[in-house]
Amino acid sequence: MSRSVFGRVEEGTRPARLDRDRGLVEAARRDPSRFDALYRKYLAQVYSYAYYELRDHHAAEDATGRIFMQALVGLPRFEERVDAFIAARTPATAADSAELSTFRVWLFRIARNVVANERRRDRRRPISSLDEAAGFTAPGDVVETAAARETVDAAWQAVARLPEDRRRAVILRFVDEMSTAEIAAVLDRSEGAVRVLLHRALRSVAEDLRGRLS
Amino acid sequence: MLGEDSRDARRTERYLDGLLAADERHAPAVPVDADLDPGVELAAGRLRSGLVRLHPSFRFEESLATTLASAAIRLRAGLPVDDVTPASDLGRVAPFPGRSEYEVEGVAAAAGAATVAGPDAPAPRLQTGPAPAWRRLPEMAGHPSRPLLVGGVGVGVASAALSLGAYVAWRHSHPAAGRMGRAARAAHGRSGRSGQGRRTGVINGILGVVS
Repeated sequence: MSRSVFGRVEEGTRPARLDRDRGLVEAARRDPSRFDALYRKYLAQVYSYAYYELRDHHAAEDATGRIFMQALVGLPRFEERVDAFIAARTPATAADSAELSTFRVWLFRIARNVVANERRRDRRRPISSLDEAAGFTAPGDVVETAAARETVDAAWQAVARLPEDRRRAVILRFVDEMSTAEIAAVLDRSEGAVRVLLHRALRSVAEDLRGRLS
Repeated sequence: MLGEDSRDARRTERYLDGLLAADERHAPAVPVDADLDPGVELAAGRLRSGLVRLHPSFRFEESLATTLASAAIRLRAGLPVDDVTPASDLGRVAPFPGRSEYEVEGVAAAAGAATVAGPDAPAPRLQTGPAPAWRRLPEMAGHPSRPLLVGGVGVGVASAALSLGAYVAWRHSHPAAGRMGRAARAAHGRSGRSGQGRRTGVINGILGVVS
């Protein structure tokens, strides 16, 4: 049986607007080889999420492979359910609604589960290696200024120090550029809870940055 | 009645929405609520520019595409997908049968060239740069100013650099003549000349990333 992407759906609200990935999803359902378009579109986002969560390049690649394979195999069971999502946002224009993708939310719910399993399976992985990764982002011949390097380093380190739930929300918001509603759907939490998570995360980062500056 | 925390959280959300919208519009300034915590504004600014999106190596990308393509063929035939070649089996690059209209022609050629060097090619240092216009993915095209790391993190950048080099060479000698390219030019009313200018810009962008 199909499972709704968005858990709390009120009766009487049915999908009415176009999802931006509907065409690609329908094509991939008809012919699985067309899944490539969805794969290329979301590869960087999924890989980024896996990397920021697992903090290891190889683990992130493995997880990315599993995520897309599960998505490909599970695509016939995917059900586009924009009801609660769109009802909460009431897009003003067709262009607004075209920005929505329940497929992306569904894909990231797969990603969340795969990454969580990966973390459970390998608890021996050092959890501080995100700091090491920050070093990779600042080779002198690429990043143009020292200020830019400091910005990247500071951001990575501040995020690495956040509690897990806040870090996850920050990654989805800033790296994957999801809305509060999308993050709520991915993390299976209310929008209010996600709002507060993000707000507290930013305050923590601000304190962290102030500490570094002082 | 909303608590103080909820009110602040909503204010923060509005500001973050504004940041995202500003990125899409390429607008440098974002309207700030006078009551917004300056610390939140500072943190959001740092995270906006510091949390880069990562792209795995192109070798991995093509390898996983091949794995998925094999799985797709098995799915279509009603076979189980358990024994599909894993993505980590590097070195074999095959264009996916159902290429997306979002891809620039030539990426497959570039990726194919990357495999010539083989998996033992030395990995140069990690490259960062502007979001790659040459990818032309809609989700990235909307944010050309966002930083992006290519080639995973510290690994596989050789293939990325080779891909870019091969793509530049290929693009110089092959104007976009594919079905999708023609359709896109027709839809946007571009003449060959303006298209040439755009391609030059793209190539310059690539050279900026590679050099």
